[in-house]
Amino acid sequence: MDGGEFSLFRTLFDKQLAMTAIQGGRKGIVAQNRYDEATLRESAKACLEAAASAQPDENWDFAPLSQNEDFVLGEVTPDTDKLFFRCQELMASVKERFPTIIMEQMIVAHKEVLKAKANSYGVLFSTHQGSYQVQLMFSAHEGEKASSFFGGGVIADNLDKPFLELGSIEKDLADVERQIDTTSVGGKFEGTMVVTPGCVGELFYSLLADFAGEGGLLSGTSPWKDKLGEKVADERITLSLAPLDERIVCGDRTTSDGFRAENFDIIKDGKLSAFFLSLYAANKLKLPRGKNDSFNVVIAPGDKSIDEIISTIDRGIVIGRFSGGQPSSNGDFSGVAKNGFLIENGKIGPALSETMIAGNLADMLNHLRAISREQVADGMSVLPYMVFDGITISGK
Amino acid sequence: MIQDLLTNKKYLFASGANTELRAQRNLNRRAVLLNGALVGNVRTEQFGVSARVYENGVYGFSSTAEYTDETVKDVLQAASENAAFLARHAGKGKGPHKAMAPNRIVTAYDLNDVEQRTYIEFIQALDGYIAQKYPDLMSRTIIATADSMEKLLCVSNGSDGHSILPRSYIYVVMTMAGADGQPVELYEVVGGGYGTFDRNYTKPEDCYAEIDKLYDRLRQKAKDGVYPEAGTKTVILGGILSGMLAHEAVGHTVEADLVIGGSVAGPCLNKRVGSDLVNLVDFAHTAFGQPTPLPLYVDDEGTAATDAVLIKDGILVGYMNNRESAERFNMVPTGNARAYLFSDEPLIRMRNTAVLPGKSKLEDMIASIDDGYYLLDTNNGQADTTGEFMFGVTFGYEIKNGKLARPLLDTTISGVAFDMLKTVDMLSDEMIWASSGMCGKKQPMPVGMGGPAVKCRVNIGGTRWRPCRRRARTRPRPTSPTPSPMSSTWTEASSASSAPCSTSSSP
Repeated sequence: MDGGEFSLFRTLFDKQLAMTAIQGGRKGIVAQNRYDEATLRESAKACLEAAASAQPDENWDFAPLSQNEDFVLGEVTPDTDKLFFRCQELMASVKERFPTIIMEQMIVAHKEVLKAKANSYGVLFSTHQGSYQVQLMFSAHEGEKASSFFGGGVIADNLDKPFLELGSIEKDLADVERQIDTTSVGGKFEGTMVVTPGCVGELFYSLLADFAGEGGLLSGTSPWKDKLGEKVADERITLSLAPLDERIVCGDRTTSDGFRAENFDIIKDGKLSAFFLSLYAANKLKLPRGKNDSFNVVIAPGDKSIDEIISTIDRGIVIGRFSGGQPSSNGDFSGVAKNGFLIENGKIGPALSETMIAGNLADMLNHLRAISREQVADGMSVLPYMVFDGITISGK
Repeated sequence: MIQDLLTNKKYLFASGANTELRAQRNLNRRAVLLNGALVGNVRTEQFGVSARVYENGVYGFSSTAEYTDETVKDVLQAASENAAFLARHAGKGKGPHKAMAPNRIVTAYDLNDVEQRTYIEFIQALDGYIAQKYPDLMSRTIIATADSMEKLLCVSNGSDGHSILPRSYIYVVMTMAGADGQPVELYEVVGGGYGTFDRNYTKPEDCYAEIDKLYDRLRQKAKDGVYPEAGTKTVILGGILSGMLAHEAVGHTVEADLVIGGSVAGPCLNKRVGSDLVNLVDFAHTAFGQPTPLPLYVDDEGTAATDAVLIKDGILVGYMNNRESAERFNMVPTGNARAYLFSDEPLIRMRNTAVLPGKSKLEDMIASIDDGYYLLDTNNGQADTTGEFMFGVTFGYEIKNGKLARPLLDTTISGVAFDMLKTVDMLSDEMIWASSGMCGKKQPMPVGMGGPAVKCRVNIGGTRWRPCRRRARTRPRPTSPTPSPMSSTWTEASSASSAPCSTSSSP
């Protein structure tokens, strides 16, 4: 749907083949999308040539043979009529309950994937999976006044529920309706920041990549490079990568290196318990590899409701989206707080515009005020509200 | 070259509908050296055919990776069936698009797909130069990339086409210890642009001057860099930043699909959105008598590409359209419907978007500012459909009493585009282009952007924290299906943010 109207219906058939060659410690990768014999031979030749061009590095390797398995996940055959019905239902609900919303774009899809991963050690995993995906982009309008736009996505393995009930779609629509008239915070102060579940994902993406991911560790710039087993966050924070969690839809069953995927904790009760490393990086750094590479983040909930938590905040903001650059590799960030609200005397006030925030992701983890009891599961992650003190908040 | 299996299928096009057939091949090549170690060595190819049918006001689309006479017929049939399905449920009672004169537009390019060894050996030579000459660096990353799109297009109404769009670039990322020992980073696109790698890069020595300049800037930033004072300030945006402004903060808001979706530009047509000095154009294939960085001659709907004039003398005068939106707004389509892969439907996209130069000399612009900033490089930016934008700034200088002063550490600027453009009071008489960008509005897309130095008022924010540091990133694989309607990544589609609206220029 574009501009609130159905515009396109499409069916796509594609193939992907990625070959990786490691020969004498030299690695090359070739990927293309045809399976005919001539193309396969040509690709294999190109892959070996690419590897031959590389420098040797003994740390490249594939997963060894363990237990091969075939997986079937989700709903592999789409119910097209019901899918279309759910779209119409959502648009009718939006029109009735959120009349100021313009749905700039809604993309609804069913994706069926049949994939196999094999290597020369005998590893062979196959997966046949199907899932429904809902992507929305919308804003609210009154005359010539408009809110900021908001985008969100959900993955589901069935069509049992109306789309409005998935993830945080209903709350997001309601919040955006209240963001047509905005104010800036005025001045500069150090305050409390309530991060919505969707925005938690954005912020932790950079943190995990730079602090616990292999880029920062291979280049030696990660502030956590020597902190395995040490406290890096408030003890109430437990953060896992969990593609096998039942709330994750069609999570990966294998890693890119060919291992069977397992859930694992990056932070457990505030302590750094593992890094997010490929087999290559693990070999190179002499550290354990990550047990999956899917980035399905699950953060453990707290024991208070978000309303209870907000009632204790004297002055702060709610942030629904962060418009900023990639945080620096030491965690420094600054940018614009989008889709947010002012909090004063324990109550949510007007929506915000032109409000900047600055802080440091690593410091934030140690200045946790609270984690909400509520979690939002969007099929890709399971995240609560997180509330941090000590954020620099400035207005126009 | 893609064999033509399309033209002889025109007899299958249904009357009363618009039909497009497109066969397309995308090639990507990439090699990455991190401190001398080859950590990336990848070649990819995606090839297939698609069909799109417009009937009763809705589209049906289908694609497949097989390219034979039979599969061309299959996708055509599937697209027709999909259009019929949607028309049954949500038809709008519209007829086909307005007729266009038939034509065939061919862009020739001898696509020399060089071996992977060529990329690796070239950046190894650069790495050796840097390692030997600049041993004080904490880390160095060199990335060679090349991509190309070859499209064969056959339409029922308009221009058929056969085009090839090749690009190639080298990125150099350097990290050095700052004054407090924390790493400070800077990167540069060294050479490159339109064309294959072998034509853009013949000798490593040709890159040394740009590498030396990058090192010099990094050294200034690391040793003497300061944070700007936060607040609303008079600044000069260098051409890279004004190009980002043209694309991200203004360009997206005047794409007709986003206008229909409620962007700030909707109520602003034929109204003042900038000072008299501001002119903004999305160029197709020629600008100022020269080829644009990424020339486009025909779009994927068969519209011959012409320039889209967006802002003239400060007045918003037009949008970028596809054929359907052009009819809705009673505008002339200018060839902005572009698809990234064979399996993508065309969307309204920019081509080469630029703020036009003015008449001022840069030195006079600097001399006119008592207390401000000259902002030269950016690595990312984000904008809203309201026009509110945020750009990261990675390099610049203070301006004190009309002269450049201390270099800047990483900071951000923000503002509202149509407010900020009204503060523009000087534009330099020279402009620069950038073309390594990859816009990420639903699909990635190579785009060019450019501009002159622009004097204006923006919000600039320091940070209270330690000096920022940046480096090449190895990202975990995004799993979010969140749409990125207005995002751009300068370098690679795979790193597109899951945020609804973002631009990243980190390599």
